Amino acid sequence: MSVNGGEEDLELQALQRQLDDAFETTRPRPGFDDELWLRMQGIRPAPRRLRDAFAGLFNGIRAVPAVPLTAVAAILVVVIFVAALTRIGSFGPGGGGASTGANSAQAPADRSLYAGSFGRLPTPAFAAPGLPSGSLPSSNQGSAAAAAPRYTWTGTFTLNIATAPVFRYHEPSTNAADQFATALGAVLHERPSGFLGSYTAADYSLKVRGTVQSPPSSPAYFIFSSNAMPAVDAAGAGPIDQANVFLAQHSLTPQWSYTVEADTSSDPVQVHYDRQFDVPGYGPAYLVRSDGAHDGLQVSLSANRPVLASGLLPMSLDVADYRLVSADEAIRAAVAATGPAAGGPSPVPPVNLSQAEVVYVLVPAGDHSFYEPAIFFTGTSTQNGQTQTRHVLVPAVDPSQRTP
Amino acid sequence: MDADRPPFEDLYRDYLGRIYAFVRAQVGSSSDAEDITAQVFMNAYQAYSRFEARNTTPAAWLFRIARNAALDHFRAQGRRDRLRRTIERQPVAEDDPAGQAEERIQYRALLARVAQLPERQREAISLRHSGLSFDEVGKLIGCSEDAAKMLYHRALKALKEAVQKEAL
Repeated sequence: MSVNGGEEDLELQALQRQLDDAFETTRPRPGFDDELWLRMQGIRPAPRRLRDAFAGLFNGIRAVPAVPLTAVAAILVVVIFVAALTRIGSFGPGGGGASTGANSAQAPADRSLYAGSFGRLPTPAFAAPGLPSGSLPSSNQGSAAAAAPRYTWTGTFTLNIATAPVFRYHEPSTNAADQFATALGAVLHERPSGFLGSYTAADYSLKVRGTVQSPPSSPAYFIFSSNAMPAVDAAGAGPIDQANVFLAQHSLTPQWSYTVEADTSSDPVQVHYDRQFDVPGYGPAYLVRSDGAHDGLQVSLSANRPVLASGLLPMSLDVADYRLVSADEAIRAAVAATGPAAGGPSPVPPVNLSQAEVVYVLVPAGDHSFYEPAIFFTGTSTQNGQTQTRHVLVPAVDPSQRTP
Repeated sequence: MDADRPPFEDLYRDYLGRIYAFVRAQVGSSSDAEDITAQVFMNAYQAYSRFEARNTTPAAWLFRIARNAALDHFRAQGRRDRLRRTIERQPVAEDDPAGQAEERIQYRALLARVAQLPERQREAISLRHSGLSFDEVGKLIGCSEDAAKMLYHRALKALKEAVQKEAL
């Protein structure tokens, strides 16, 4: 067939576009990525496991926790962050400084134009374990707010980022749970209600669970040791070393960033691996549960013997950047919060918030759930001579990018 | 962790699909592509501690592993069998559910045509449309950037002719 040069160029360009589309749309079948990731976790060579163990040991030595503040009671105040942030008025009395980075100055007038690629995100609906249901805090709680503490901000919070990554995962299937168990060497025993599967191995049993809607809990695994589980044989090793060795032996060393600390105040000893997400321009941000505690992986040891290990199920995460509220907006939301109503007739002491940090919270949403950034405020209040630590948690994703 | 080296999980998330598409354009079946892709990432995972970001990009490093894995696959299976299938125009077996599902993918036939190109042309097309620069393509297949451009354009014309013949 004879074609002139112009026509041939057009045909080649069309073919190039088709090739771009072909390579862009050709992807492995659904679930392949999860299966392969789990297989990879199972084939890590022994030297790498050992290296992980030593790396964890080193991190553990550097991150031995400070003495717990036993004299300070912690009360978590969780805030449902209403969409109309702009309606929130001024700072509370004694409001301190806040600064935002240069990026914030570049924010467009219509923020909805900058919704991330996951579309509008579900708004976190935090629960507050241990609080009476009637006292679930809200910033528009009506009469109950009359008994709520008054919040002020006296700290300095700088947020030099205008966006942060939001992470999304597919709800793990029974097949994914089975693959995870198989990689550990466990075999399916049954599928009890509430779990993706229950499995058995030579010296432990394993249960794998999907996302829990309320209170929000990430997909997780639980290893229950049997009497056949041996003590960790590591002369002179402390609990963190022992936990590291146990995890490395079972190919369970976290593949995510974390800090590690041990709570030796009771038996069994608890070793916590607290997951962090890297926020470009900010740094690591902890994943926190709905009660404000760090989430990740825990190993319980008794007499040098692992008795329970529970952690986040390894999953592949999609990521997309979303616009954040400014530091000023987050502070206004925090000081406008209404906490749990006081039960007695005594006046509610004011809460002086002085610290803030970016954290991540799980927001369950059916087949896909999200890890969304939030701002975690910490402060104190004093009543009858006793100082209490209080927290306020507000979502960090701009309201225009979340569903009401 | 090397400060310049992203977490392997990031590479896995960013490149799994692209590596699969590249491999899929090299081999005839989705099941082979899955096996090879799995081998690529398992090899990469084990070798990642030796990866040095200052010497190459993660993309070029992964595609080099993928290219070697595809070549190993051809060596193992026998190039002759594949050529025979091509000459006899026999479709590659796709009787598994995943393969049947992939039948519905719009551009499957085009990738199958790419898979039938001569080796270097096939690689030039696949690497280029997997997002690599001509410089990276040249380094991977052992030629200069300009030579990679020429090879790519020859491959593109050959592919166009093959597609036109198929349409007749």
